Amino acid sequence: MKTAILLSAAALLALAADQATLDRGQKEEALACAPCHSLRLVDSQRLSKATWNKELDKMAAWGAKVQDRDALLAYLVANCGDDKPPAPPEMTKDGTRPQRKQ
Amino acid sequence: MSFTRRNLFATVATAAVSRQFAQAADDPVVIAGKRPMILHSDRPEDLETPVRYFDSWVTPIDAFFVRQHLPRPGAIDTAAYRLTVNGMVSKPLALSLADLGALPQFTVPATLECTGNGRGFYSPKIPGIQWMRGAIGNAEWRGPRVSDVLKMARANSAAAFLETDGADTGIASTPDFVRSLPMAKALHPATILALSMNGQTPAIHGFPVRLIVPGWDGTSWVKWVTRVSPAAQANTGFFMNPAYRYPKYALPPGTPAKPAELEVIEGMPVKSCITAPEDQSTAAAGPMTIRGFAWAGENAIERVEVSVDGGSRWREAQLSSPKLPFAWRLWSLEWQPGEPGYYTVMSRATDTAGRVQPIVAPWNPSGYLWNAIDRVGVIVEKSA
Repeated sequence: MKTAILLSAAALLALAADQATLDRGQKEEALACAPCHSLRLVDSQRLSKATWNKELDKMAAWGAKVQDRDALLAYLVANCGDDKPPAPPEMTKDGTRPQRKQ
Repeated sequence: MSFTRRNLFATVATAAVSRQFAQAADDPVVIAGKRPMILHSDRPEDLETPVRYFDSWVTPIDAFFVRQHLPRPGAIDTAAYRLTVNGMVSKPLALSLADLGALPQFTVPATLECTGNGRGFYSPKIPGIQWMRGAIGNAEWRGPRVSDVLKMARANSAAAFLETDGADTGIASTPDFVRSLPMAKALHPATILALSMNGQTPAIHGFPVRLIVPGWDGTSWVKWVTRVSPAAQANTGFFMNPAYRYPKYALPPGTPAKPAELEVIEGMPVKSCITAPEDQSTAAAGPMTIRGFAWAGENAIERVEVSVDGGSRWREAQLSSPKLPFAWRLWSLEWQPGEPGYYTVMSRATDTAGRVQPIVAPWNPSGYLWNAIDRVGVIVEKSA
């Protein structure tokens, strides 16, 4: 019984840590990726961990300032892994009509 | 709590990103001059044409796909614009739009397709924009021949390549978009510096001056051209190597290529797409038209066959004229499904060189040149 409680507490802790990592990863995505391009370019991909790893190397070489790399990778794998369903398509709004002035 | 500079930046950036997320949810993206398009990225703009817009031989500009590698350059002052012609030439030039307009003008109808069109169909998944069918369009491009410009500059006949740069520049340390074209293709009479597309000059499509390389992948069609330079060697920048290369020998899916065995992509393969009915759509039993387009890079389309039973039996579709190299042909087939049910409709093109679309498009590490036989599912319901 005691072991079970300890185990579940450990599991919960692990989960909490994971969520904290994912939150940090999401922030890191905004910090490292959004200065140069839309996050849509990232969030629409479905890639394996190894491929995401290579993408992060490529982007770092192109000047992306990635500081919390592990959290970013964990976030990408958790949200844009190759086991996730495809990102739902998104449409632009009609830009052929005269735009109303704001 | 101590605020480091990075923390401060993090706070500001997170606020900005929250706004961006809020905008994504509440305030959809509008691209001026474009109908509703499939949005892959708004910064830079990467927009795919929904197949239902492909109902005319010339794709209207408001429906034409957009692929940007780098942020779009600022507005180009057409009065101040100069095309630099330098490198292996005896007479370096700086040509104005009026100078280019004074040369003989040629209209070239040609299909433009993103090298990665169809990447979304590959498995295992490949990094890059997950284009499906719509990173393609057909337009009438008009402008002077590259060969006439090079003649004016007295290009050295020993030059093997033409290097082309556009007004766009890299962001952070991303490389500049520079491409090289083998001189034989640059001197082809259909290779032009377009000053218009369907009679217009849309900046989002690379005007005032765009390089048109008929039959070759979209990457060769440099936008906002500012410099052309005959050269002895091909440019060695990222967009020539390793990008936009294709394995010389087919690879097991999911495996890397040997860099030495990657080749620059040139002409495009034979390909057809079904634009109606749409995949997984429902139709009432009764006559319907199966429609699509087919093109074959530097060749013309000879034949398109359609199957409505998953590829067991094939019938020839009707093809639109003209039958040209570089430009697609629209095709159609009247069909009356005999019974309700789920139908797998397929299209297969053959070109004038005898190339036929394959059942399986070869997987490659960058997801280029998808050209497998197209396939859509249609649910035919009993008529009431």
